[in-house]
Amino acid sequence: MNRRLKLILSAAIVVAATTAGAGAAYAMLQGDAAASLRSGGQAGEQADGYLGVVGSGSADVRSQVDAVNIKRRAYYTDLAAKRGAKIEEVAATTACELFRTKVAPGQYYRLPDGVWRQRDSAPIPLPGYCG
Amino acid sequence: MRAAILTRLRLDATQGAMRWTRLLLAAPVLLGSAGCVQVAAPDKPIEINLNINIRQEVVVRLQQDVKELIDKNPGVF
Repeated sequence: MNRRLKLILSAAIVVAATTAGAGAAYAMLQGDAAASLRSGGQAGEQADGYLGVVGSGSADVRSQVDAVNIKRRAYYTDLAAKRGAKIEEVAATTACELFRTKVAPGQYYRLPDGVWRQRDSAPIPLPGYCG
Repeated sequence: MRAAILTRLRLDATQGAMRWTRLLLAAPVLLGSAGCVQVAAPDKPIEINLNINIRQEVVVRLQQDVKELIDKNPGVF
């Protein structure tokens, strides 16, 4: 094995190791991104099936919310294609379910009227189509 | 007459070549957009449209799938 090949190989190993490490760290950071954004009060659930930034929000919060929403969009698109539904229909159905099960008292939500509200001890009054 | 035909032929050839060049230039762009799934964040935020026009039977039909989707992806939902 000549020197150049060795150099290339070691460079490849370093790159692979770094990416794997960063990937693991990223996964850990993203582990409960949506839940922690909700419980921190920086973001809330919207009737359109996406997380929304409550108030102005820091650049960091906005980028976290965007990251979650990009993934959501991908899942919605996938499921919509599988079931022959529209992406918005899958997204809105998900919102109904998130309003029911994931938004805890004290956390924020936004119905089709566009107003951010904080959930109290009562369940969220769901839009009619939620069934 | 002959000269005219030749000129025309040459013109056609040049135009044809230009068309090919354009196609060749466009090909990588087309291939690029078709060949990969874009994972980078869009420069615009995802537009929020809360005016939801949806029928209840659609929600009922999708509900089970959606529950599974949420349970399987705790980081995202």
